[in-house]
Amino acid sequence: MDGTRVGKRMIGTQSPVTVGWENIPKVTGGPVKLFVFTWFQPAMLFAMIAFWYYAPNSIAKASTAVGIGIGFKVLLLGLEWVNPRYASWRLTWKELVTDLFYVGLGFTLLNMVSHFIGSDVMAKAIQRHFHRDEFTWFTGLPLLVQALLIALIFDFGQYWMHRGMHNWYPLWLPHSVHHYITQLNINKGAVGNPVELFLIGLGIGGFFDFLPRAVLISGAFGLAIGIYQHINVRFNSPRWWRFLFNTTEHHSVHHSRDFEATRSNFANTFIFIDRIFGTCIDGEAELLGMEGGRRMSIREQMIHPFTEGWKALKERRAMTLSAE
Amino acid sequence: MNLRFIDWIWHVRDSVELAPGQSGEDAFDRLDPLFRQTGTTYQRTNDTLIFSKKNQASQDKMSVFDGGALQIDNGVGRSVLRYDLTSRALLFCFLAAPLFLAIAQFTVVISHFDKPTADEEKKHTDIPMNPIDKALGAPEPDNSKKDDADDDKKLTPRAAYIFSGIFATLYVVGRILEDRLIKARFRKSLLQA
Repeated sequence: MDGTRVGKRMIGTQSPVTVGWENIPKVTGGPVKLFVFTWFQPAMLFAMIAFWYYAPNSIAKASTAVGIGIGFKVLLLGLEWVNPRYASWRLTWKELVTDLFYVGLGFTLLNMVSHFIGSDVMAKAIQRHFHRDEFTWFTGLPLLVQALLIALIFDFGQYWMHRGMHNWYPLWLPHSVHHYITQLNINKGAVGNPVELFLIGLGIGGFFDFLPRAVLISGAFGLAIGIYQHINVRFNSPRWWRFLFNTTEHHSVHHSRDFEATRSNFANTFIFIDRIFGTCIDGEAELLGMEGGRRMSIREQMIHPFTEGWKALKERRAMTLSAE
Repeated sequence: MNLRFIDWIWHVRDSVELAPGQSGEDAFDRLDPLFRQTGTTYQRTNDTLIFSKKNQASQDKMSVFDGGALQIDNGVGRSVLRYDLTSRALLFCFLAAPLFLAIAQFTVVISHFDKPTADEEKKHTDIPMNPIDKALGAPEPDNSKKDDADDDKKLTPRAAYIFSGIFATLYVVGRILEDRLIKARFRKSLLQA
């Protein structure tokens, strides 16, 4: 395979990757369909920001956000059905069961672990150490500025955490499981080894309990932008949207079977962070996964980082012994 | 214990009539593409096909099944394809419901150890409001002493109960749906010109 040169890298030499927005298919159909699949994403983003900005205090709380998140995902599952990007990514009963198992783990066991030894504990420690008075310079800013800063700070952290996962073997081991998915659907972001899901959760926890409304608005950025990373829907995302934000096109490149392509598009929400650091590739891919698209069973997903880590340790020990 | 009483949980058994005059060999030839998939191995004899799948792709039309046997039963009038397929995914979904019930019970037990300590009581200081937000009509920050956010963080078994219900429902749907889908797929493959 020839591949396409992007900067100093050759993309798509191992598996097909489409590079360049001009080469990506557009939504086809009547004017209503075109209108919906062009403006759905911006409309939902602005609607969610407006909702959290103006929602009365009685409903502006985390449980409402969880409810909205579930409702929005159900709506997006409907869109996957109506306008799929690829027929080969069509959600099957088995894929839905697998995805929901991981979503269920996130809402239950992982939530419990985070509560006792994860982000909740870290948040409490921070709250004990600092006092609200020390944050008045921040809490006095306009809500939208606070929300944008929170989202940017977290995404900047996520970018480097994710890039670290692709460059440092001990972090790659738990993350690699997520790269065995062979199609993108709305709940695929939850699929991965629990160790990785716990590590990622550390960055999201309630660090900003001092700023409930700003955090809820910043959560809207995650929900109304980041969620499209794993979705099987073709959108005609506006040019400014795909310049600023991560899209399913970007993320499909990241999940492709081409090794060089996977080392791109690390940001969760704001793809311009990748543009700044030279890791952005505008394009898309249909063939996803590792080892030629081998699908991992849930059992293997649970133990893979440990078995592979053990193998690597044994190999290293054998090499050390043979060198001596 | 005779597994026949419970193996309907992960087995799908049914039959499809072949077209009049269709031979077993022709039937298996038509079904052949379904088994020429990555991770699938199969053996064909005159009237039987036995297959097994490992790490089958999501895009495999029979990905929900991990193995099984298909047999041509040569009747007096018409021959019939009988099949017995096994699915770990169906078994997993069936077991996921009680698993989440167990997680719910575990949450109830462990929540007893989750009592707030005295030093976790928060000092409340009023959150300021920026004049721009005031001008745009955003609600005043909630500076009351009660902390609703803390209620959201309490460990409750509710999510686990909901997921248990979801998996019970998914099992019923999957058991019926996958049964019908595979029958329709076999019938379509056998009868297509």
